[in-house]
Amino acid sequence: MQDIKSSISQMNALELSAQKNTIIHRLQAPVKIITTVIYLLIIISYGQGQVSRLIPCFFYPAVVMALGEIPFKTIAGRLLIALPFSLFAGISNLMFSRETAFILGGIAVTAGMVSFASIMLKTALCVTAVLILIATTDMNGLAYGMLSLRVPPVIVTQIMLTYRYIGVIAEEASVMRHAYLLRAPNEKGIRMKDMGAFLGQLIIRSFDRSERIYNAMKCRGYEGRIAYSDREKISLKGWAYITVTSVFFLLLRFVNVSALVGSLFL
Amino acid sequence: MHMSDALLSATVGVTMTAASAGAIGHSIRKITKFEMDEKKIPMMGVMGAFVFAAQMINFTIPVTGSSGHIGGGILLAALLGPYHALITIASVLLIQCLFFADGGLLALGCNIFNMGVLPCLVAYPLIFRPIVRKAMTKKRITAASVLAVVIGLQVGSLAVVLQTQASGITELPFLSFVALMQPIHLAIGAVEGLVTAAVLCFIYQMRSEILESAMRDSSVNGIPVKKVLVILSLAAVLTGGFLSAYASANPDGLEWSIAGVTGEAELEGDSGLHAMIAGIQEKAALLPDYAFKAESAENSMFGDAAETVGTSVSGIAGGLVTMAAAVLTGALISRLKKRRNTEAAA
Repeated sequence: MQDIKSSISQMNALELSAQKNTIIHRLQAPVKIITTVIYLLIIISYGQGQVSRLIPCFFYPAVVMALGEIPFKTIAGRLLIALPFSLFAGISNLMFSRETAFILGGIAVTAGMVSFASIMLKTALCVTAVLILIATTDMNGLAYGMLSLRVPPVIVTQIMLTYRYIGVIAEEASVMRHAYLLRAPNEKGIRMKDMGAFLGQLIIRSFDRSERIYNAMKCRGYEGRIAYSDREKISLKGWAYITVTSVFFLLLRFVNVSALVGSLFL
Repeated sequence: MHMSDALLSATVGVTMTAASAGAIGHSIRKITKFEMDEKKIPMMGVMGAFVFAAQMINFTIPVTGSSGHIGGGILLAALLGPYHALITIASVLLIQCLFFADGGLLALGCNIFNMGVLPCLVAYPLIFRPIVRKAMTKKRITAASVLAVVIGLQVGSLAVVLQTQASGITELPFLSFVALMQPIHLAIGAVEGLVTAAVLCFIYQMRSEILESAMRDSSVNGIPVKKVLVILSLAAVLTGGFLSAYASANPDGLEWSIAGVTGEAELEGDSGLHAMIAGIQEKAALLPDYAFKAESAENSMFGDAAETVGTSVSGIAGGLVTMAAAVLTGALISRLKKRRNTEAAA
């Protein structure tokens, strides 16, 4: 139950954050999608072990989160959940590459440590970038953004419908689970042997619901496809944003900012 | 089994995105060509939401005391037909990636391929459908579900290993990685297969027409097994080709080929544009010849530009300063915005 509730509240938190009206929120959705993809491509193009070169990339999330008034907590919470996966993959680097990369203050830093750190940094940057996109763009905007980026309407409709009904079906599941636990007070969760009937019941309820949804859509003129308004073109301002951010990302990629800054002090 | 962006190379990400986009495009063509039922659109949406809800419900596995949840590829394919199932799974994966940081955005292509294309367009038509089509009985449904889920998951987890290895971010040797992934996913697959079987048997008992209508889905009959296998192996060869081309593009290879062409290890750069750029570079760089030389240097262990002794100390110090600057900039903007907002409100 906690699972369901926390997942739904996570979605609500992001949706609430997407309703704000800031300079980042006002950017067109396709602009934000393109910028995010360019940023992600730049991040994953860094070689293993380029830790200090990755750090300046934090400027993008720091600035955009501040401008978009995104609550730090929402992002941080998600980040903590996403990190363990990379942790697992990264730990193997710690074990398998033990050659000394360099010595820092008498401590030998192994190649594994460096690449481990770079994997964790990359994870943090990539996850944050995606969460920033979703925290500053509402689902309708995202749908139109996808349409203007030529994603087929079938897919967009599918994503919108799924997104809208997650809350409803999850609520249904949560009620059923509650009922199950009231009937079986000694069980911690649903027993595997009851899972067939449980999920089967949920499927039948979902099918029936989709029948009612279909009828309701039909009443409103649905004929096999949903009508969307015309594709929005990316404005001059949007192109300017994409260009400026991309040039900034490329600068970070090809100029070693950390070493430059470091050399000022050392 | 969700792959994240950080463990992926751009080449693998782009290749797998292309593969998944192709499979989805093919599915959309099939759906629109054979579309018999406009009811399917809202049904797919609701079933996508169902997969979410189903994955949130953990069930207790007897004896082990651990808990598991279902993946849903084969289940959806059996209920909706493989093409509708693939599109449903793809949208679920996109929402998971956007809202729950489950799998990366660039890794979406990999994830759709591993958890959507492989179960829906490979395991379902090759395993589930032939077994159940002959005669729909509970025994056959059970056998088909378990086999299809287990094999689908094995192929999927193998694909995860291959994609991760091809990306070259982790140092885990191929064999240990396989030895780690496959048995775990065999166990997961067995449990998931049994639950899928139980669900489908329940549906068969209560509403057999749902399964029968998916089985009648005429668009599926035309899946040419040979064609699928040819396309898959072509994709493998293509990916291999891409990767080897990418791998040989390292600085050493480039230097070697330059040496081969010009007879000198480095291009003479004192004339024209090159000299001018080099001059500007020397002037612009605070520590000329330092950041660039030290990086392209000998240390081929990491491929391009690893942390070497030279760069490391100033790099780390500079990195810390830069990090602090980034955080401060963010904090400053937040502070300014807050002040302006309160002023506007007053």
